[in-house]
Amino acid sequence: MKRRWGMVIDLDKCTGCGECAIACDQENNMPIFKDDSDILKRVAFLDLMKVTNDRDAKYPDVRVGYIPKMCQQCEGNDPKHPEPPCVSVCPVVATDVGDDGIVSQIWSRCIGCRYCQVACPYEARVFNWWKPRYEGTFKKSLTPDVSVASRGTMVKCTFCSHIWKRERDKAVANGIMDINAVEYTPACVAACPTGAMVFGDLNDPNSEVSRLARDKRAFRLVHTIDEKPENEQAELKKHKHFANPKVYYLTSRQWIRDMMRFK
Amino acid sequence: MGKLKDEFNSYPKNIQITLYVLFFLVIGFAVFAIQILFWGLGYTDMNNIFAMGQWIIGDLGFVALGGGAFFTGFLLYIFRVDRLAPIISSTVLIGFMCYLFTFILLVFDIGQPIRAWFGYTYPNWGSGVYPKSMLTEVVFCLTFYFCILCVELVPVVLKHKILDKKPVLHAIGHYLHMLMWIFAAAGTFLSFFHQGSLGGGMWGVLYAKPAWYRHHFFYVAIVAATAGGTSFMTLMPWIAGKIMQKEIIPKETFWTITRVSGFMFIAYLLFRSYDIYTMIATYAPMADRSYFDLWGGYYGLWMLVLEMIFIIIPIIFLNIRKYREQEKFMVAGITSGVLAIIMGKLGVILHGFSVPNFPWKPFVGYNPTIQEWFIFLGSIACMILIYMWFAKYTHLFPHLEKAEHAAESE
Repeated sequence: MKRRWGMVIDLDKCTGCGECAIACDQENNMPIFKDDSDILKRVAFLDLMKVTNDRDAKYPDVRVGYIPKMCQQCEGNDPKHPEPPCVSVCPVVATDVGDDGIVSQIWSRCIGCRYCQVACPYEARVFNWWKPRYEGTFKKSLTPDVSVASRGTMVKCTFCSHIWKRERDKAVANGIMDINAVEYTPACVAACPTGAMVFGDLNDPNSEVSRLARDKRAFRLVHTIDEKPENEQAELKKHKHFANPKVYYLTSRQWIRDMMRFK
Repeated sequence: MGKLKDEFNSYPKNIQITLYVLFFLVIGFAVFAIQILFWGLGYTDMNNIFAMGQWIIGDLGFVALGGGAFFTGFLLYIFRVDRLAPIISSTVLIGFMCYLFTFILLVFDIGQPIRAWFGYTYPNWGSGVYPKSMLTEVVFCLTFYFCILCVELVPVVLKHKILDKKPVLHAIGHYLHMLMWIFAAAGTFLSFFHQGSLGGGMWGVLYAKPAWYRHHFFYVAIVAATAGGTSFMTLMPWIAGKIMQKEIIPKETFWTITRVSGFMFIAYLLFRSYDIYTMIATYAPMADRSYFDLWGGYYGLWMLVLEMIFIIIPIIFLNIRKYREQEKFMVAGITSGVLAIIMGKLGVILHGFSVPNFPWKPFVGYNPTIQEWFIFLGSIACMILIYMWFAKYTHLFPHLEKAEHAAESE
């Protein structure tokens, strides 16, 4: 059976340590700019968002939570024929969606028009506004499986699909020829010290990720259609696509779930 | 050089000052163009949230307003509205420049200008007849239509007093002019597509973005271009006539084209009202958003109100004969028409990008940097200079020649 990679992040377990973001930066060759405090122009695939129940609230009423956000690997209404919002808009086919559901991006094909960034509802795509630089010994730590992007190109999280390729090559070397038997773990999931991030195959109903995605604590980022009754969802989907991301979040804190809705 | 200096000194003082300002902007354009092309888009105020800015507003505006060229050509060559003949050369030139500078701004706007040709070699066409990506359609339709505008411009260039003396070139210009209806028809066909796609379709297909998503946005942009474009095509020669202090376009031509513009603004008002109604009633609620909540931050609902006022003014002044035939009302009408289109495009980009994607994030603002201003204003300065050159050295306004001949023969 074909894979459909997905992720579940348990926000109740997330301490906001940022290990996932650092592992992602390291694994995916994120450049360091002169001014990385310029968050709006920073290049990072994984954004650790800090949210609060009320900006003006004081102790003990203030609540704080962390939401690690990367590409949500949207698939549109029909998972069998995925239509992520960013793929169909690219004028040069620099981004595509594979049969394992991963939305890929070819840095060297991208012309930097940023139309995919405009189409993305999760602000998950980042643009190299400046020339990426890797100073001094930093160059020696670059991951050879991830190409270094040029200035003026769009980059994004691909669920570390290069690690899947590495695992596939290992499996083939061990005589396993079925690519659907290959399993892997993205860098952020491997780095999480509390086990808040779980990665796996959503097509396999017995996988941990599938089980957790069905959990009553599960929700998806700003995907309010999920809260509607099934018949209403079906009716809405007749008229338009919905992002339908493959990243699920878990929380028992109602205020975080409430935050997912525009008032 | 001395000749140029003498000619410059022969101009009135206000023209000299204007030329100084225009050349200053063009020099600034050149300097900052080098900076942007060699050191990247980091020098702009665009960022990962506000991914497109002033240059895209310029592109949308240029294409919509330059769209008056296809519509005027269509009326003259296909519908045979001969009263529009005195304005057509000016119209073609403005259309040509608008499309040329749309390309130039697009080159600045993309992160990898030297890969711009990928748009032709790796188009996202999908499996259908119609391209999958709206931007692929924009690339192809803009290119083809620009080629047509180049051909349409040839007779105007060949009317230059030196070139026109060569019998071969004169004959080419004459016969091309006779074949122009073919180009007008092809241009109209192509223009319908890219007007729709760049002005509306590109934004209307973004299903995950409630500020933009609607099926009919493609068609709204076409109607907007026909209405605002014809106003713009009237406004430019009217300003040129004021500067030259001559009647370069007969009044009847102005009345005819402004009447068309006024009528198209009625269509645009109806369509835009339908657009707003469906946004309120259908599209924004589909994404669990309220249309009026989408308007906020720095670019509030006043943009929409202002746009509607600018649409209503040309409807009154350009459709009622007694107003249309009075110069001040006609000019107020066409100026408002142009401003309505500019407000519409500002609304698409400034408002569209400012809308937050997450409920806990605020509306964002955009403040173009000096690089963006110089490249944008420098482009407009280049267009004005080219228009001035054509007005001075070619037969851009045939009516002017006729009037001069008539005066001489008397």
